[in-house]
Amino acid sequence: MKKIFSLFLVLTLILISGNLFSQDLDALLNAQTKPTINYATATFKASRIINGHSIQQMKKKQLDFRISHRFGTLNEGGYGLWGLDHSNIHFSLEYGVTDWLMVGLGRGSNHKIYDSFAKFKLLRQSTGAKEMPVSLSFLTSVEAVSEHFPTTPIQLTPTTTTPRINYFSSRLTYVSQLLVARKFNDKFSLQLTPTYIHRNFVPTELDQNDIIAMGAGARYKLTKRLSINAEYYYTVNPNAKYLDTRYYNSASIGIDLETGGHVFQIMLTNSQGMREGTFIPQTTDNWLDGGIHLGFNISRVFAL
Amino acid sequence: MLKKLFILVLLISSVGVFGQGKYIAKNAYISFYSSTPMEDILGESNEVVTILDAEKGEIIFQAIMTTFHFKRALMEEHFNENYMESSKFPKTKFKGTIEGFNKDMLKGPVANIKITGVLNVHGVDKTITVPGTLGLVDGKLVGTSKFKVTPEDFEIVIPSVVREKIGKEMEITVKADYLPFGQ
Repeated sequence: MKKIFSLFLVLTLILISGNLFSQDLDALLNAQTKPTINYATATFKASRIINGHSIQQMKKKQLDFRISHRFGTLNEGGYGLWGLDHSNIHFSLEYGVTDWLMVGLGRGSNHKIYDSFAKFKLLRQSTGAKEMPVSLSFLTSVEAVSEHFPTTPIQLTPTTTTPRINYFSSRLTYVSQLLVARKFNDKFSLQLTPTYIHRNFVPTELDQNDIIAMGAGARYKLTKRLSINAEYYYTVNPNAKYLDTRYYNSASIGIDLETGGHVFQIMLTNSQGMREGTFIPQTTDNWLDGGIHLGFNISRVFAL
Repeated sequence: MLKKLFILVLLISSVGVFGQGKYIAKNAYISFYSSTPMEDILGESNEVVTILDAEKGEIIFQAIMTTFHFKRALMEEHFNENYMESSKFPKTKFKGTIEGFNKDMLKGPVANIKITGVLNVHGVDKTITVPGTLGLVDGKLVGTSKFKVTPEDFEIVIPSVVREKIGKEMEITVKADYLPFGQ
């Protein structure tokens, strides 16, 4: 019995080792290939979803030159060619210092605002050897209004006035955002963007110095090079109505069209501002009465 | 008795496991290059794994698409997203046989060879015969190859807007420094 058992054992072992001798090259190769981490790439096509930042950023030594326009409102009618008579322009240079840090400088014609920002990649969505359900970035930006201060004195009472004392700090707005994004599949991506904005100086007592908002943006790819995007910023504590000026949440819908080194973004939005400090707290047009701006962003990327 | 036999068989089988007569390169190089008046495209990977079976003259290559890197980050993104669809087809593979193989090819100076096999790119199989070299360089076994492939053969669609920038054919360069398996 013992002999039979040992014979059986030897036979089995020989069979196993025989198998190993003729082990398929494919299996051998797979055993030698390191497990990889598959990072989610191209969650969005550009560094903006529409107005606000997306989780995308320039990789190291890549420079993005962006030109954006927002025309007037559609409800200007035929006399103003449905808003095309008015154009606000913004342009910026944005650069990847490292794969995880991007910085940018820009200038917008609306209120002559200069802006600068830094975007830090904190987490990257991945599967495989490392699992991470979402990508996370932090955005910090400073915007400076360069428009001249009003020269009219401040009216204290109907009969008394006092001259203005202007400080440089009154020109500044600070923006902080967390960008939390997930690419659900090849076509659909979603991003949530909790936002805190601090304005050093606001026009009236009715305006808030500190604004809290929550942004949500999504894209759906129709083809490999065309996607439809939507973006909404809900302002938790909006500015109160002042005279004829009412403030609305920013809502936008658009498409991204990619052609080689360019990304064209064409959108309809109720915001004329193109930076967080303006389009989140200062959107004064309303979709429901035709306060809709046609606009576009053009991104051209250079490898330096 | 049983123990001795067991150990003996284990020893024999372990020799088998360590791939007697097999050579491996874990950091082989593959690049693809296309040149047009509009743009040059060069993607390179140094993380290709290849095994050469010295018994049968079989050779196998495998590259993970996301290990290919480009000077322009946008090219890399388009390569993975639009052309190779790397999330669907993460690997490219070649498995072939060296024509007229004999073991002396592994011990002599570099000589020209021909390899016929199946190249799998973008989920599409295609049988190709490519020229190459194989032999000892400074005592190490080195294999190289240079050949051309057409993206359309692998159902890789290039839209008309960028057709001018991407060559009709891609030149593939392969270089592998082999070591005996298990070392």
